[in-house]
Amino acid sequence: MLSFRHPSEQATAVVLALAEEPATWRYGYELCQRLDLQAGRLYPVLMRLADRGLLETAWESDVPADRLPRHLYRLTGPGRVLAGRLAAEPPARPTPAPVAGRIRRRPRLEGT
Amino acid sequence: MNRARRLGLVGGLAAVALAATPFACLWALQARDAEPPPANVVLDIAIWMAVFGSPAMLAAWLLWRAWWRQAGERLSALDGPGWLLAAAAATLPAERRHWGPAMAAELAQVQGRAARWRFAAGCARTALFPPRAGGAAVSVTGALAVGAIAAAAVLTGAALPAGRAFALVLVGLLGGLATLAVARSRWAGWTAPGPALTGLGQAGVTACLALTVYYLAEHPAYGGVDRADAVSLPPPTAVVLAVALAGCLGLALRPPRWLLPDRTARWFGIAMAVALVGGFLLDARLVQPGRDPGGQGMMGYLVSGPLLVILPGSALAAAVGRSLRSGLWACAWAVALAAPLLITAWLAEALHWDQVGRGAVLDGAGPMGVGVNLADAVWWPLLFLALWAVPLGILGAAAGSWRARRRRARRRASPVPTA
Repeated sequence: MLSFRHPSEQATAVVLALAEEPATWRYGYELCQRLDLQAGRLYPVLMRLADRGLLETAWESDVPADRLPRHLYRLTGPGRVLAGRLAAEPPARPTPAPVAGRIRRRPRLEGT
Repeated sequence: MNRARRLGLVGGLAAVALAATPFACLWALQARDAEPPPANVVLDIAIWMAVFGSPAMLAAWLLWRAWWRQAGERLSALDGPGWLLAAAAATLPAERRHWGPAMAAELAQVQGRAARWRFAAGCARTALFPPRAGGAAVSVTGALAVGAIAAAAVLTGAALPAGRAFALVLVGLLGGLATLAVARSRWAGWTAPGPALTGLGQAGVTACLALTVYYLAEHPAYGGVDRADAVSLPPPTAVVLAVALAGCLGLALRPPRWLLPDRTARWFGIAMAVALVGGFLLDARLVQPGRDPGGQGMMGYLVSGPLLVILPGSALAAAVGRSLRSGLWACAWAVALAAPLLITAWLAEALHWDQVGRGAVLDGAGPMGVGVNLADAVWWPLLFLALWAVPLGILGAAAGSWRARRRRARRRASPVPTA
């Protein structure tokens, strides 16, 4: 059985996004826009996933002469297994807001 | 004039100005010390600096032209975010290098000035600080490095107070290099440049280290011109020596991958380093004793040695390797290996010169005590290697690769025969 370290929140989002259509190749900027992630956060995640053999990469073929070939990404077999496991997990509890920024409310009575 | 040519010209002039800067600073220092500065002395110094600076300025121009010829067309088409990304991607380790074009291709698709800057800044951050490997091993190595610095501080404080700054900087740099090597080892593996080069580099650094410690223990001070107790290794010199030794050891043990594939360059580099140091020893032992006391000193060899060894050696390496790169890499190896060996030879000869009653190795002046040679042995060989030998090596490499470049140009110009 495969064992994985639990990925970070951003890596989880990337894996789940790639698992929506696992056979489709995706572009980096497309993932940035879709997940509302900055490139500085997305590319380290892609590098780590590729290092661990969870992500397959390829270069775009049949590119017009005036354009650079783009790098494409999709999940490997182990990546899809991880995606299945992450999808089956209960959603993570939202991170509590810092105390200073938390809105303090008075306790409300039932039915009011 | 199109954008590529204009940028090429501006960059070339900037490279020449950069190469001239150390000579201008040296001229300013010399002119300041000539008190009061008579106009003809200042002019003389300026002429000498121009003579010695010309190879450096010409070498900077040639090096820039060779680089711009390859990369200029592509780089001149880039906007600000493109330049930022290209510069950051150049620092990626070899095993992550393909992520540079991947990010650049994505940037080409990003529309809007602000969005392009945001995307390029994010990519640049990733390129400059890519995810590191082996977190635990890196932390342990870093902790060991900090421990070694603390131990060096305690030990030198007790046993070798004159060498405290030197020991702290050297141990700190070596610890940093070791931590960096562990952080990148997961992808890079161990890239040794071969036993001959590694052995020579290690031997040079070890011998230099041993003699420096001997000088610091036995001759920590000397009778200076103005004062009776001038320090043999003042802090700025200690820092320069530590940086040079750590750099040479790092290159000998774990050079960047782009320096490795060229075997021709490695062997020419070893041969040139051995010839340069051998020539120094021969000159010090056989030629100098025959001169009158006023004309003794190894300053002359620092000028003539690189002219006789590095210039033709780099040219030959470029001609044999049929590329400018072979000559440049040969020169780089020669300088990296020769630096600790020349300092070692200088310090060893200084002990001999002191025994036979000659003065300082630099110019035969004395007697001031052997300690005066320690700072001389650091500054003068490194200064001449960096500002004189390296430019001569670049000029030699350019001359040696000239025929190969002509042959390539002729082949491109001639029509391809069809069957």
